[in-house]
Amino acid sequence: LTAYRSKIIFNFGLFAIFFIFYMGAAVIQTPSFREIASLSTLGMPLGLLLSMLIFPISWIIIIVWFWRAK
Amino acid sequence: MSIKRLITFILATITMTMIMTPALTRAQTSSVAASKLDTSIVVGFILFFVIASIVITWWTSRSTSTTSDFYVAGNDVPWVQVGIAMVGSYLSAASFLGCPGDIGVFGIDSIWLSIGFFGGYMAVLLLIAGPLRNVGSYTVAGALYSRFPDNRIKLVVMLCTVVISTFYLVPQMLGAGLLFELLLGWNFVYVTIGLGLLMSIYIIFGGMKSTLANQAIQAVFLFITMVVLTVLAYFIVGEGSFSGILATAHQVVPPLLAAKNQEVVSAISNMPAMEAIATARQMMPTAESAMSIGVKTDNTLAMISTVIALVFGTAGLPHILIMFFTVPSARAAKKSVTLCIVALGIFYICAIILGFLLFPGIYTKLVTWIAQGSTGIGQAKNMAVLEISHLVGGPWLMAIGAAGAVAAILSTSAGLMITVASSISHDLYKVYLNPNATEKQELNIAKITTLVMSAIAVSLAVMLKQENIAWLVMLAFGIAASAIFPPMIATLWWKRTTRQAVIASSLTGLAVSVLFIALLLIKGSKYMFFGLPVAGGPGIFGVSASFIVLYFVTIFTSDTGKDPETFMALAHRPDVD
Repeated sequence: LTAYRSKIIFNFGLFAIFFIFYMGAAVIQTPSFREIASLSTLGMPLGLLLSMLIFPISWIIIIVWFWRAK
Repeated sequence: MSIKRLITFILATITMTMIMTPALTRAQTSSVAASKLDTSIVVGFILFFVIASIVITWWTSRSTSTTSDFYVAGNDVPWVQVGIAMVGSYLSAASFLGCPGDIGVFGIDSIWLSIGFFGGYMAVLLLIAGPLRNVGSYTVAGALYSRFPDNRIKLVVMLCTVVISTFYLVPQMLGAGLLFELLLGWNFVYVTIGLGLLMSIYIIFGGMKSTLANQAIQAVFLFITMVVLTVLAYFIVGEGSFSGILATAHQVVPPLLAAKNQEVVSAISNMPAMEAIATARQMMPTAESAMSIGVKTDNTLAMISTVIALVFGTAGLPHILIMFFTVPSARAAKKSVTLCIVALGIFYICAIILGFLLFPGIYTKLVTWIAQGSTGIGQAKNMAVLEISHLVGGPWLMAIGAAGAVAAILSTSAGLMITVASSISHDLYKVYLNPNATEKQELNIAKITTLVMSAIAVSLAVMLKQENIAWLVMLAFGIAASAIFPPMIATLWWKRTTRQAVIASSLTGLAVSVLFIALLLIKGSKYMFFGLPVAGGPGIFGVSASFIVLYFVTIFTSDTGKDPETFMALAHRPDVD
C-alpha cells in the first residue's frame, strides 16, 4: 500500500499538471477569451502557441514519469 | 483456414472486385475527383490492402484456438506491436480525413479535435494503463468485476460497450461508403456491406491476433502517408514557410462564411486558391479570419464540453482499454501507450499543419463544395485531404491517401467489432444466458455477434449518411467519458468507492450522455437543455453527473468490494518487465 499511496500522489500530480495546462489552453481558445488568445507571441497568436505547446509538454511529462515511475 | 481455402478466397476477392467495379459504379458518378483520377490505381491499392489483410488473418488464425487466443491474443504480444496496433486502432477516418478537413472548413476552432484526440492518451497512460493490466481480464467489465463480483456490473458495462462501440463504428462505415462514393462513384450501400463482411472475416477467422497484426501494419502505412503528405504539402503549397502559412490563414475568410456569400462564390469559382483568398477578403473586409475564434461555435461551454469529452473519453473507450490485456505485464502496457503517444503526437501535429495548408492549396474547392449545402459541407470535411493529396502528388498520392483512409477505417472497425463480440459473449452470454457454455459455444456466440454488429452498423450508416464523421466519433467519446471513465477510475484508485456507486455512476453517465445526443440529433445544435448547450455533445454534463452520483452514492453505501486493500495492492504493485 506504500506503492499505492505514492502512485496516487505521483500519477495524479503529473496528470494534474497536464490537465491544468490542457484546460488552460482550451479555455483561452474559447470565444470568451478571444482577445487574449489573439495576442501575438513569438510570431503566432497566444492561443495557438499554448495549444501547440501541449504536445512537447506531454512528452516531457512522459519522460519524467518513465524516469521516476515504479 | 487451409492454404487451399486461402488461395480460393483471395482469387474470389479479386474476381468479385473486377466484376463488381463496373456494377458498383453509377452511370452518373457523383465524384468530383473521379474525372481526374485513374480509378484502377485506387482500386489496385485498396485491393492490395484487402488481400494483405486476408493473408495476415490466415497466418494468425493457425494459432488462434482458445478463448484466450481469441480475446486477448494469449496475453503475450510484444509491447512494440501492441503500441503500433494501438495507433492503428485509434487513428480512424475521423483522424485522417476529419481533423484536417474540419480546420479547412472552420479554421482555428477545429485544432482542438486533434489536440483532444492526442491529450486523451495522457489520462490513459497516467491513470489507467498500469492498474488495468495488473487486475487483468478479457474485457473492461471483467476488470471491474474482479473488485466487485456482481454480475450486474458486467451487464451495465457490456451495455455501455455496445452503445459506445456502435456510435464509433457507424462513422467508420460511413467514411468508407462516402470515400468510395465520392471518389469512384461506387454505391454507398454495397460498399458498407462489403466492409462489414470483410471485418467479420478478420474477426471470425483470426480473433485478436489477426486484429492486432492487421492494425499494426495499417498504422505504419497510415502514419507514413500522413507524414509524407504533410511534408510535401508544406514545401509545395506552403512554400516551406510556417510564418507564411499563418499569414495566409490570417487573411483567409473561413470557407464556411465565404460560401454563404453568393457573390464571393461566383467571383472566385475559377480562381487559383491564393487569388481566391485575396478576392474573398477584398469582398468581405470585415469578416472573421481562419485564425478567429468562435467561427465553429460561439458558445464557450459547448467548446469546453467537447474538450472534456475528448480528454476523458479516450480513457473510457473499450476497444482501446481491451488492448492492455494483450501484453504480458503492466510495464509492457505502459511502454505500449508511450510509443503510441509519441506516434500520435507527430500524427496530430501533421494533421493540424495539413489543415491550415488546405487554404493555400484548395480554398476555391472548399468554398465551392460548402456552397452546395449540408452535403457539400460533409464533402469538404471528409474529402479535403484527398483533394490536396491529388494537388501535391497527383493520382498516385491520392490513391495512397485513399488506401490510407481505408487502412484507418479497417483497423479501427476491427478493434471495435472484436470488443463488442468479446463483451457480448463473455459478459452477457457466459454470465446470464448459458453459464455452463463450453469454450467453443462462447467463441461461436462471439462470431455470430460480429455478423449481427456488422448488419446493425451498416443499417445505421445508411440512415446517418448526411452526418459528419469526426462529429459522430466525438459523440462516442462523450459517452465513453461519461459512462466508463468515472467508474473505472474510482474502481482502480479509490478504496472507499462502492459497488452500488460504480453501477449508479455508469448508468447515470450513459443516460445523461444518450439524452444529450438524442436532443442534439433531434432538436439540432442550437437547442438549449435547461440553459445548457447541446452543441458540444454530452462531455462536461455526463462526466459531471457521473462523478457527482459516484461520490454521493459512495457516501451512503458500504460495499467496497472484495478486500479493497488487497485489490489496490494488486492493481498498483511495483512494475516488473
